[in-house]
Amino acid sequence: MRYLLLVLLSLNLFAVDASLKIEKDVEHRSRIALEDASSSANEQFFKILLSDLKISGHFLADTRHHRGDLNSKFITPALKSKEYVLRYILTQSSGTKLIIRLLKASDGKELFKKSYSIPTTSKAPFLAHKAISDINDVLKYPSISWINRYVVFSRYTSAKQSEIILADYTFNYKKVIIRGGLNLFPKWADPKQKSLYYTSYAGMIPTLYRLNIYSGSKQKITSSEGMLVCSDVSSNGSKILVTMAPEGQADIYEMSASGGSKRRITTFNGIDVNGKYIDNESRIVFVSNRLGYANIFKKSISGSGVSQVVYHGRNNNAVDAHGSKIVYSSRESQNSFGNNTFNLYLTSSTGSGTRPLTASGTNQFPRFSTDGSILQYIKHSGSGSSIGYTNLSSKQSLLFPLGVRKIQSLDW
Amino acid sequence: MIKKVILTTATFSLLLLTGCGQTAPDLGGSSNNISDASALSGDTVSINENTYGNELGGRGNSSSDGFQSVYFDFGDYGISSGMENAISRNVNVAGNANGRRIKIEGNCDEFGTDEYNYALGLKRAKSVKDSMGAQGMDTSKMVMVSFGESNPICTNSTDSCYGKNRRVDLRLIK
Repeated sequence: MRYLLLVLLSLNLFAVDASLKIEKDVEHRSRIALEDASSSANEQFFKILLSDLKISGHFLADTRHHRGDLNSKFITPALKSKEYVLRYILTQSSGTKLIIRLLKASDGKELFKKSYSIPTTSKAPFLAHKAISDINDVLKYPSISWINRYVVFSRYTSAKQSEIILADYTFNYKKVIIRGGLNLFPKWADPKQKSLYYTSYAGMIPTLYRLNIYSGSKQKITSSEGMLVCSDVSSNGSKILVTMAPEGQADIYEMSASGGSKRRITTFNGIDVNGKYIDNESRIVFVSNRLGYANIFKKSISGSGVSQVVYHGRNNNAVDAHGSKIVYSSRESQNSFGNNTFNLYLTSSTGSGTRPLTASGTNQFPRFSTDGSILQYIKHSGSGSSIGYTNLSSKQSLLFPLGVRKIQSLDW
Repeated sequence: MIKKVILTTATFSLLLLTGCGQTAPDLGGSSNNISDASALSGDTVSINENTYGNELGGRGNSSSDGFQSVYFDFGDYGISSGMENAISRNVNVAGNANGRRIKIEGNCDEFGTDEYNYALGLKRAKSVKDSMGAQGMDTSKMVMVSFGESNPICTNSTDSCYGKNRRVDLRLIK
């Protein structure tokens, strides 16, 4: 028992951020080098390509910014030790054009060639993501198509004022799509990211809208006194989980996507929020203070029984789920004020297999990728705020710096 | 035996009465016989019954139309005893609102996250609404909205500043 305690204590003492564990797991990754054949080297674009390769978990990328000739078959001897060389030309004049060639490093044989173009320069990061996603598919690695998705987030600008912004996953691309007043809790409404839900405070009480981000058409879904949040959307987009308080009491409801019908799922005279579908959408996990502090619980959509999922921590106030996988944030310091340590934990709907994903800083807003393989989160630390990504299988992590304004909520 | 008890009681009573006897303090001149003068060194309070209990610890008032903001402890949504006068005052103001609707806005400090903080703001608003209802107010004219951490009135990184943000504001609906 004493030895077991010692081992556990040692594990705890030497727990480190996932980002520090990762670098050793390289056996199954392809060694690849990038050669920039553009007329003038673009360092930012190179770094985005590098980030894409790194977070995929499938490549071990050479971090040097090499220059090269797109159409040459010659491979620099220094790069012969790699498996692949990716040559590219980025042109940004009236729009953005990207041409890529994937070569076998040993003999210069072309494996893949493709060109991409978009009419704007601001969306160049998406071309990088698409190119790396395609190369990943050509080499028959598991899909990383999540890197092509938009991230949507809201951030406060001043008291009772916020913006809803679209970004690529690295936050190199950002565009404000909703401004004016207080607009909160953006949530993608469909798998293809054509529409999103958000809560508007323009009226007397909070109102949930669905906005088509291409046409601008807006549909009112419902409104509620007190608070109103679209917390989750079913995989086919037909149902939503909403936290609302039609009688002044925050509870979780399931509604049709049109808002036509609703069913109350939780009934508790306290706080029940943050409902997320689990187990083929037959159950939900949610955050409740029914034991006197914020913690994670689950229940079936139709049944009445509620069971506790997490048995550790005294303040577990945010949760996300994918299938039977659950991630939650746990406050692990007791400062009433100032920066508290919030760490993220991965567990399952049965509560088994719990493991920490972060070990320092304030880590909040955990969100799974659509395939459940990557975790997105916001990290606040002494050096500022960042958006973080952790590959749950390779344990590879990336952090991208954020602006100073406070994030309210995000989805991707 | 009874005589003995009476005698003993009388003796103790006499001793106690003798002990309670005090010489009137001479506060003038150098003959002050109070050995610990510190009890007199601080000035005494002077309270105004009209405002006593409404000072809110210097947290001010971000409500309007005569209402008084109600403040809360960290992570809490119960009405503290120090806020009961503010509730009473709000009941009086609401009683003179001529049937107009009242908006009750719940607010939080910046330390909560995500949905939970908005629910906490709502619970604070509901506590104020229910407390006013318990004092006989018609709550059907009240509309609650939680602003979570989105509406701080103080943005410094101090305890007192965070305390100002954990509040419920009331105002008439225009």
